[in-house]
Amino acid sequence: MTQLITPQAHLRSEDINVWFGERHVLSDVNLTFPENQVTALIGPSGCGKSTFIRTLNRMHELIPGAGLSGAVLLDGQDIYGDGVNPVDVRIKIGMVFQKPNPFPTMSIKENILSGLKLSGRKVTNADELVETSLRRASIWNEVKDRLNEPAISLSGGQQQRLCIARSLAMEPQVLLMDEPCSALDPGSTRRIEETIEEISESMTIVIVTHNMQQAQRVSQQTAFFLAEDGNPGTVVEFGATEDVFNRPIDPRTNDYVNGHFG
Amino acid sequence: MAQVIAAKTRPTSAPWKRRNSRNILLVTLASVLPAAVAAAVTVLLGLDGAIGLLVLFVPLQLIASVGIGGYLFKKRGRQDAALIVFTVFFTVLVAVLLSSVLVAVFEAGLRMMRWSFISQNATYISPTTSLDYGGLGHAVLGSILVVGFTTLVTVPLGIGVAIYLTESRASGRNFIRSLIQSMSGLPSVVSGLFIYSAMIVTHWSGQSGITGSLALMPLMLPTVARVCEEALRLVPTDLRSAALGLGAPNYRMFLQVVLPAAKSGIVTAVLLGVARIIGETAPLLLTVNPSAGTNLNIFAGQIETLPTYLFGNLSLSTDYSVQRAWGAALIVLFLVLIIFTLTRAIGGNKQLKTPKKRK
Ligand SMILES: Nc1ncnc2c1ncn2[C@@H]1O[C@H](COP(=O)(O)OP(=O)(O)OP(=O)(O)O)[C@@H](O)[C@H]1O
Ligand SMILES: [Mg+2]
Repeated sequence: MTQLITPQAHLRSEDINVWFGERHVLSDVNLTFPENQVTALIGPSGCGKSTFIRTLNRMHELIPGAGLSGAVLLDGQDIYGDGVNPVDVRIKIGMVFQKPNPFPTMSIKENILSGLKLSGRKVTNADELVETSLRRASIWNEVKDRLNEPAISLSGGQQQRLCIARSLAMEPQVLLMDEPCSALDPGSTRRIEETIEEISESMTIVIVTHNMQQAQRVSQQTAFFLAEDGNPGTVVEFGATEDVFNRPIDPRTNDYVNGHFG
Repeated sequence: MAQVIAAKTRPTSAPWKRRNSRNILLVTLASVLPAAVAAAVTVLLGLDGAIGLLVLFVPLQLIASVGIGGYLFKKRGRQDAALIVFTVFFTVLVAVLLSSVLVAVFEAGLRMMRWSFISQNATYISPTTSLDYGGLGHAVLGSILVVGFTTLVTVPLGIGVAIYLTESRASGRNFIRSLIQSMSGLPSVVSGLFIYSAMIVTHWSGQSGITGSLALMPLMLPTVARVCEEALRLVPTDLRSAALGLGAPNYRMFLQVVLPAAKSGIVTAVLLGVARIIGETAPLLLTVNPSAGTNLNIFAGQIETLPTYLFGNLSLSTDYSVQRAWGAALIVLFLVLIIFTLTRAIGGNKQLKTPKKRK
């Protein structure tokens, strides 16, 4: 297993183990996410990718019966450390979910500003923030005339980009994306990939994807997760995307990225 | 070259219904014949209406519908026909029962409707005083005060219980939930008796509006709490995750995301709670001392409410007082209607406004 430890590690997971009730679902995950790089998490369904990504901004602990050991370091500081408020962690480490989840009672504009309001911050020059966030998520042109309409009047793909814009408005240091394109058409997927490339200039990105081409297009490094018959999921291979896809060390990685699994 | 496509007339609007004149005739016959036959036999033999309905009409209709349905659509038709006959029959039955109550109240109550009946109170009014004098204004005010105070106390309590049940992970939730559930089965007279024996017999307090309110609270609380809990539970986890993922503390997540999403459900909870208690009579008979005069102080003194006014007049059982009781029944209905409309208008489903025109 290749290990990639760069000095400017922005986010790091150390020996992450996860349980749901008595069930051990993730074992010893050590990953390093360097600053302003995109890391793709790939692996078959049910191997624990979503579970892992949720441990990175303390969303995991919201599930009843969830258990965890290990540490997640953001700029060298454990986000699970004593006296760390999960609310502050989630402001710094944003998240885009697999299913678009705009707030149905709010308009498009209010959705963008909701993050600031929900985390209790003052909104100064709201219009500007709304515009730049929507532009960065490349949805501005589609919605600029209907900012006050309900967010649920948008199509699924537009809603997902709205959710990305909502996260971007918070200016997080790290953005976690759990299969953000799984419900989108090729056009929207392409636009989101462009967005990812653009925003990775100012933030660290972790993205879960089932799309091998997408992983190769957007990411600099890739981690392959696998849970083999009843065993907890773990990282089988981790390295530069180039290497993982073209020169995998583990034969199981080779099988998976070439579609020979199961 | 643009091709012109000739407009076609639709032969049948729904091919799956296999509409043609013969089938339509059969279906019409199946719907009309049983009723006609049952009516004719009932009248000719001088049978009781209920027997005609249940013993003749329902089986006949069932046989006719199932026969025709089966003939036209085979097995699926038979099953559909049976289901339709039963649902329509029971729907109509319930509708008739309910509307006959309404018709009775309106018929008898409307005769009492005059301005004096609503605006005056009942001082110097005896059971034989002309209906043109005296009214239930004091009872309307009393009811509004007593029910209003009950609502004021119970709604926050009920919402609080619902929040505890849905938002917290405390281990006592199941116990509280079953407690609330058994509370909703509490006979209202027991609630009245409890306040009566705990407060009035022990001379803690005389009968007043407040003791009435206290007796109504245990009746309203379970309704509000359970409907609210249901409304909060219906808010998708996705929305909660979205809010928490954006760095919202729990209380902001609840206030800014969950509560607005559950708003119309919570309004419904309040309305159902008010509807539950506004006509409650038994607990008030024990805890409130009805008066003929107007009393706006619910903390002391005799006070009249609509249910006690109705009950009082009914038990006097003179022609006039029974008339007044019917009038009171109609007023209760109206009051509920007004409260429902108002609350819906103020706090109902607020839809975001869509701009009328975009250029
Ligand atoms: N809330 C939960 N309670 C109990 N077990 C859970 C829960 N969520 C996930 N699991 C279990 O944890 C394991 C990993 O699930 P996870 O959702 O992380 O998979 P995944 O890799 O994201 O799969 P997919 O690609 O299908 O999204 C699965 O075996 C799943 O059954
Ligand atoms: Mg997943």
